[in-house]
Amino acid sequence: MKHLKSRHWIFLGLFLVIGITMILNVKLNVRVSPYTQKMFDYIDSLPPGSILLISFDHEASSLPEIRPLALAVLRHAFKKDLRLIGVSLLSEGTVIGYRLMQKTAKEYHKVYGKDYVYLGFRPQYVAAILSMGESLKETYPQDYLGNKYDQLNLLKSVKNYNNIDAVISIADGSLTTHWIEYGHGRYGVKILGAVTAAMVTTYDPYLASGQMYAMTGGLRGAAEYEELLKISGGGARGMLAQSSAHLYVIFLIIVGNLSYFITKRKGRK
Amino acid sequence: MNRKVPLAVCFIFGVVMFIQYFSQHPTARFVYKSILDYWQIIFAFTLILGIISFVNNNISQIKRGNNTFYRIVAISGFLIMPVVALGWGIKTGSPFMWMFENVQAPMQSTVFALLAFFVASASYRGFRARSIPATILLLSALIILLSRSNIGGIFSDYLPNIADWIRNYPSMSARRAILIGIGLGSLTTSLRVIIGIERTWLGKD
Repeated sequence: MKHLKSRHWIFLGLFLVIGITMILNVKLNVRVSPYTQKMFDYIDSLPPGSILLISFDHEASSLPEIRPLALAVLRHAFKKDLRLIGVSLLSEGTVIGYRLMQKTAKEYHKVYGKDYVYLGFRPQYVAAILSMGESLKETYPQDYLGNKYDQLNLLKSVKNYNNIDAVISIADGSLTTHWIEYGHGRYGVKILGAVTAAMVTTYDPYLASGQMYAMTGGLRGAAEYEELLKISGGGARGMLAQSSAHLYVIFLIIVGNLSYFITKRKGRK
Repeated sequence: MNRKVPLAVCFIFGVVMFIQYFSQHPTARFVYKSILDYWQIIFAFTLILGIISFVNNNISQIKRGNNTFYRIVAISGFLIMPVVALGWGIKTGSPFMWMFENVQAPMQSTVFALLAFFVASASYRGFRARSIPATILLLSALIILLSRSNIGGIFSDYLPNIADWIRNYPSMSARRAILIGIGLGSLTTSLRVIIGIERTWLGKD
């Protein structure tokens, strides 16, 4: 025990705070923000059969935060009988996106090729976004599973962004910016974002200017979305861990500042 | 010659891409689509370059006896994933999918999650109200953190509104200033590269 330094106690404290809160399973009071509400309302307003392009622009490292958010959005889309086209602009997001779409499609008894397709990864995100604006078929002659583009019923009526209602970029970095700059800027396609909490402020200016139509962010966004869908999911659970960690950090900041001022006062004396 | 050819290629493609943006002529569309295809092909080659660099670096470090065990693990992972993908496919239930979901994804998430512990430690040591700007930053951070941690609604309902105000005014104005700066900077740098004034990208020789 005597070998433990102050940072080790801080680490132990964080572990205990999160662990105890998760065991106690405290009920969260989720207040739905206008940002998430706008995203939900848009997807909710689309008529059945509308086509959304879901872009999985994230890596495996952010999966605990991205997964609840992606699942909530996908569940909403399938629940509303929307048709989904999945793509990925990061190689790691490819497998994750495929699994998430497959999982949610199964829950809502959706058929591959008719209700959803997964096209997979294309290198160089800017070129891929621009290329899809010209021709989705030329960008993806085959889907992720090797089926030819023309063999998939859903894609028969899809030439480019003109045949897609909106793009939802599920991202942990700045890739949504490229969707806004090139997808919306050049081709005018509507962009929605489901991003990590750390990236929310990055997209605020685009949201305010209308270049990005709607956005929901982080575990809080996922929890809010689950609240709107009236389902329980990883968002609320994750939010519990995150909130308790936040409170612990606030406690540490206060203790750190108190000790700073006490030491300073003693130094003056 | 070593410098003139790349400069000419850069100038021609820069001007062509600029002009085609304003044209719907079939030739302009064809050039644009072809360039998009080649762009992706060139990027795919950079991935090969990355792979060669990764293997070379790890093998040379193994020869020197530097972190041999970890480097063998890295190379093994690098070899195993494509082998199982080519051998058994990438569909659900395949060894590739199993390894991705049960090895790669949890490992990456774990490393990322360690950040929380370092943030907790750093908040105790570094987040001090040493000056007025530092105090403003500290108070803003506390308000944002509290508004995002409203367990059981224990804090005031005004808190999210204050946090939204911070996000929508001071934070967004600073972010916009940065974005405009980046935009203008990118524009001038691009023009300098296309015209040939900026030549650092060519290297020293």
